[in-house]
Amino acid sequence: MRQYDYRWLLCFSCNLLLIWLIGLANHYLVGLSFIGLDYWTVHLYCGGLLVTFAALRLDLAHGLASTLLTGLAVDSLIPVPFGTSLVLFGLVHAALYSGRRRFPREEVVFATIVALFSNLFLFIVLSFALVGRLPHPGAGWLRLFADLIASQVVIALIAPWFMALQVRAFALARLNPETGRRLSA
Amino acid sequence: MLPHRFDQTRPFVVLGVVLLVWLIVPVGVKRFTRSALFEIQAPLTVTQSYVQELQDFWSTRLHTRDELYQKGHDLAGLLAQYDFSLQQNESLRAEILRLENLLKLPPMPSYRLEPARVARRDFSGWWQHMVIRKGSNYNIPVGAPVVFSGGVVGRIIEVHEYTSVVDMVTSPTFRVAASPEGDNRPVSYQGGDNETFSSPTGTVEFVPLDIFATPQQPKHLVTSGLGGVFPAGLTIGDITKLDPSNDGMFKSGEVRLDDRLGALSEVTILVPLNTDQM
Repeated sequence: MRQYDYRWLLCFSCNLLLIWLIGLANHYLVGLSFIGLDYWTVHLYCGGLLVTFAALRLDLAHGLASTLLTGLAVDSLIPVPFGTSLVLFGLVHAALYSGRRRFPREEVVFATIVALFSNLFLFIVLSFALVGRLPHPGAGWLRLFADLIASQVVIALIAPWFMALQVRAFALARLNPETGRRLSA
Repeated sequence: MLPHRFDQTRPFVVLGVVLLVWLIVPVGVKRFTRSALFEIQAPLTVTQSYVQELQDFWSTRLHTRDELYQKGHDLAGLLAQYDFSLQQNESLRAEILRLENLLKLPPMPSYRLEPARVARRDFSGWWQHMVIRKGSNYNIPVGAPVVFSGGVVGRIIEVHEYTSVVDMVTSPTFRVAASPEGDNRPVSYQGGDNETFSSPTGTVEFVPLDIFATPQQPKHLVTSGLGGVFPAGLTIGDITKLDPSNDGMFKSGEVRLDDRLGALSEVTILVPLNTDQM
């Protein structure tokens, strides 16, 4: 009997978990007062990390489905035109997928570097799209730059864990991420 | 087998087809999808909020009885003060009603106060939002003002089944008609840039030239009650800086907002009793 192939769902579920965890971190990173400063706020954006595993390890149909759904899930939480992240994540996914054969895509270090560059691209594009809303866009870039640095540091720290989590999820489901074939116990 | 060159561009072709389909999807379907995806994630957000409350409960249980007694004592004093304020409020309401009848004025807008817990804060450089734990299950309307003891918190911009999204007063997407306290000329308030290492700020525009404010002598800014859902007299912040604008006809400047906006755990929604107020 042919079993339903739910690789996209596995990857999407892991992405939902990461979106929730990053949201949780952002909830507590508001109005902090320590290290000699009375009030500081930082915001983490980890869009690049949400695309990396699906683009590097899954086949095109399942990877793209997971990435596009993740983009829509992100868009449902933020005040941007619905579909913005769908387009951006989709573009990053397509670019990574088309070039992935030339690189050691199963290496964690490579995945981390890819996540960092993807996130940099997504953050900059999103910033250019949204910075016009700010009353003083020039001054707003300073805050965005601080947020970008914090986000990149966090991605560098958690990317190995997140990649391992997704590999483990596929191992538990006994599925090969690329082919969807059942793995022997 | 597909040629190698097409194999390389295949992801882009597939993405292009998906985006074309996305462009022609009806708006209603997109709205439904957005709402559905928000609702899928809402339980996680709300559960985390309840867990936080449970944590607070157990940490409060660790206080000694003496500490709890002292807190209860302080609370009793506050309650006595509020009781007195309530009586004053009642007499002022009666006075307003009498004057309205006497002068045949239209009635003042009235609101139902709906307290709600904060489930999630999202303060980025692009926007500042919070998710609260009440939605259409409490008949919260889109556009309703949200306040706390220090003044304006924001405005409801999305209502879901049991959560709502508040656009914060600190957010660049938030605008409201305001006026300096003691002056009934309206000015325009907008949320500010919100730097990483400083308190939240907003900006003010179209301020008359005869109004002055400095960090040493700030000017209190309140809602004007004009052209919006916010009742008049709610605190927004303090104008700390005013400079002549480029056209020289008005001034524009900076508004310092309450630091507590970043640490709110409970807010109050002003639900208009008359739907025409929205």
